[in-house]
Amino acid sequence: MYYFNEKEIVVPGQLLADDPKKSGPGTYVLDGKVYAAHAGLPKLRDGVVVVIPLKGPYKPEAGDWIVGVVTDVKPSSIEVDLGGYMTAVLKYPERQGPPEGLTVGDVIYARVKSSNIRGVFLESEEMKKLTNGIIISMTPARIPRLIGRKGSMIALLKKETGCNFWVGRNGLIVVSGKSSEGESAAISAIRVVEKEAHSQGLTDRVAALLKSAKGRNHDDREQGDKAN
Amino acid sequence: MMTESKEIKLIDEEGRRVDGRKPDELRPIRIEAGVLEKSDGSAYIEVGRTKIFAAVFGPREVHPKHLELPDRAVLNCRYHMASFSVDERKPLGMTRREIELSKVLREALETVVFLEEFPRTMIDVFVEVIQADGGTRTAGITAASLALADAGIPMSDLIAATAVGKVAGTLVLDINDIEDKYGEADMPVAMTPRRNSIVLLQLNGRMTSEELKKALEMASQGIKKIYQLQIEALKKRYSVVSLEE
Amino acid sequence: MSLSTKSPRMSPIKIMQNRIYELLKQGKRIDGRAPHEIRPVSISTSVIEKADGSAMVSMGGTKILTGIKVETGTPYSDRPNEGVFTVNAELLPLASASFEPGPPDERAVELARIVDRCIRESRAIDLEKLVITEGERVYMLYIDIYVLDYDGNYFDPAVLSAVAALATCKIPRYEVRNGKLERVEGESMKTPIRTIPVSVMIGVIQDRLLVDPSPMEERALDTSVILGYDSDSNIVSIQKNAPGLLSLNIMEQIIELGSKKAEELRSILVEAVGLG
Repeated sequence: MYYFNEKEIVVPGQLLADDPKKSGPGTYVLDGKVYAAHAGLPKLRDGVVVVIPLKGPYKPEAGDWIVGVVTDVKPSSIEVDLGGYMTAVLKYPERQGPPEGLTVGDVIYARVKSSNIRGVFLESEEMKKLTNGIIISMTPARIPRLIGRKGSMIALLKKETGCNFWVGRNGLIVVSGKSSEGESAAISAIRVVEKEAHSQGLTDRVAALLKSAKGRNHDDREQGDKAN
Repeated sequence: MMTESKEIKLIDEEGRRVDGRKPDELRPIRIEAGVLEKSDGSAYIEVGRTKIFAAVFGPREVHPKHLELPDRAVLNCRYHMASFSVDERKPLGMTRREIELSKVLREALETVVFLEEFPRTMIDVFVEVIQADGGTRTAGITAASLALADAGIPMSDLIAATAVGKVAGTLVLDINDIEDKYGEADMPVAMTPRRNSIVLLQLNGRMTSEELKKALEMASQGIKKIYQLQIEALKKRYSVVSLEE
Repeated sequence: MSLSTKSPRMSPIKIMQNRIYELLKQGKRIDGRAPHEIRPVSISTSVIEKADGSAMVSMGGTKILTGIKVETGTPYSDRPNEGVFTVNAELLPLASASFEPGPPDERAVELARIVDRCIRESRAIDLEKLVITEGERVYMLYIDIYVLDYDGNYFDPAVLSAVAALATCKIPRYEVRNGKLERVEGESMKTPIRTIPVSVMIGVIQDRLLVDPSPMEERALDTSVILGYDSDSNIVSIQKNAPGLLSLNIMEQIIELGSKKAEELRSILVEAVGLG
């Protein structure tokens, strides 16, 4: 027996089911019943109840792509700020010098190699130095929604704004476009994804927002041309 | 400011309290979640004239490192009052009362947070009283637990709290400042509403064991009502935002 | 969520620094503002009943709450016919991951002293009207500023909130009767105010100026200056509040820009508190 409605937010401690086998991520079991462990949206997924948090910290896992800012360069390692008060380390062979000549203040897109008691370590291979764009942050809990199923949401943003995106699972995102209007539209759309709780129709709403922003910019530019 | 010469009738002939409430009536309460931008989670509460902000940062790396725990997060809590929150200006700096309340609040919050999910990190909870009119620690912890939920930190339950007092021999729910100052007892209680368990309990004053039982029951009823307001606050926080055209 | 705050003075993020300057050259900013545009300001007064005066001000996402408590005390020995006011500020840990709990650090002290300077040097309060018995008893105004949410530039909203709280403060009246100091029940007076000081924070990146910086912008600035002005556009306080070189050539622009923005802020303040 389930006790939730997928359209309503649940609060920590709320009863969700009375079969302990149905406990999925975001829930906990007590006295044979399943309860919500966070505030969030309950869902039945692959036969278990999960609670999708609307805000939440980043838990690094090997293989994650992240965006980070270099905060320290040492003889054989670089410290990278992942936001959310987390620092990762990128090791490199001392004789080679820091990869891509990284210095403090550089922004990188890299893969998590490992995350354990000794810390979070990044792969130096495939690491990319980002040289252009705006960096923004968003709650890590909503990053999967920003990427979308099979990357659909981020693909929509790319198409409608003409910008490039580097999305870090850690909640840092770099947006780089040819025009500041495109970048502004992209950032507004990202904020909408962050705020909206319900997933139905979100993609359509974001598409509508971007189309109307494009229309406005087009009008502005036309008027500007006429004035000139 | 109260002058000694005034006669304060804490309970009148009709059983009404100084602010007109019945003994088992809560003050008007307003609760909002997600009111501050820079913290990871936040909440604001008003209980009568008591006004409090609560905010959460974390989980975050522990500095200095030797304070970290290998198997769970460290939870810190700071209960602090603004200088102008009370009748007589409170000078800057932490008083002994604030230090004690910080501990008591922390212990209550630790009970419900799944600290083992975030080893070697710390979670900071800040409770800032901007106006104090009785029941600050209970309103504070009600807001703090909501701020933790707002931050997406895993918890077993919310915490809601209220203080029961005794004035002119009568047990009263949710005491205000005057009732606290001139009453015979003050008992703050915080509970996890779903499991009906007490996570914070203090008593200042004198009660018989009968009175104590009745007072706990009264608190529990009040707490159930406050819990509903917390749920509403969280639901409101995440209701669908209409697209700005 | 924020980028690491192990040290309050965070090194700039290169791509942002470049982008912010590139946009400034085109007359734009990342949040869509014009370079000389201040974020939306909202001011509410008398929000804390237990305080004699109070004001909550927000400028963009920065929120500041100021409360004033009035007491009586002895005047300074070299100023026996003047009331006393002090300004304190706390950067509450609530407001930012970079604010640690504890006694006021250098930033909080600097903020308090800048606000104090704006009010004191403009002689905004007519302290001679705050005397009960000359040389013995005067009114003491404790102006306490709390930063609740920090989204860049706490200076300007702090000055606004302190002045708004002063302007709407109800000073409880005291009198000496039969040698005893007594509160005159039911009577209060307005703060005797002579001028309305405001401050303007101006950031500099190379040859460009911007006002009311956001946190990312603060990180990207070469330096910044805060100027305080009174109602007659006299400059009453200046603080270069960041490291970096401030070119002499740009000072004239800064002063002029400051003066214009001060007028703008003052009219917002005056409207909010209903001053003449």
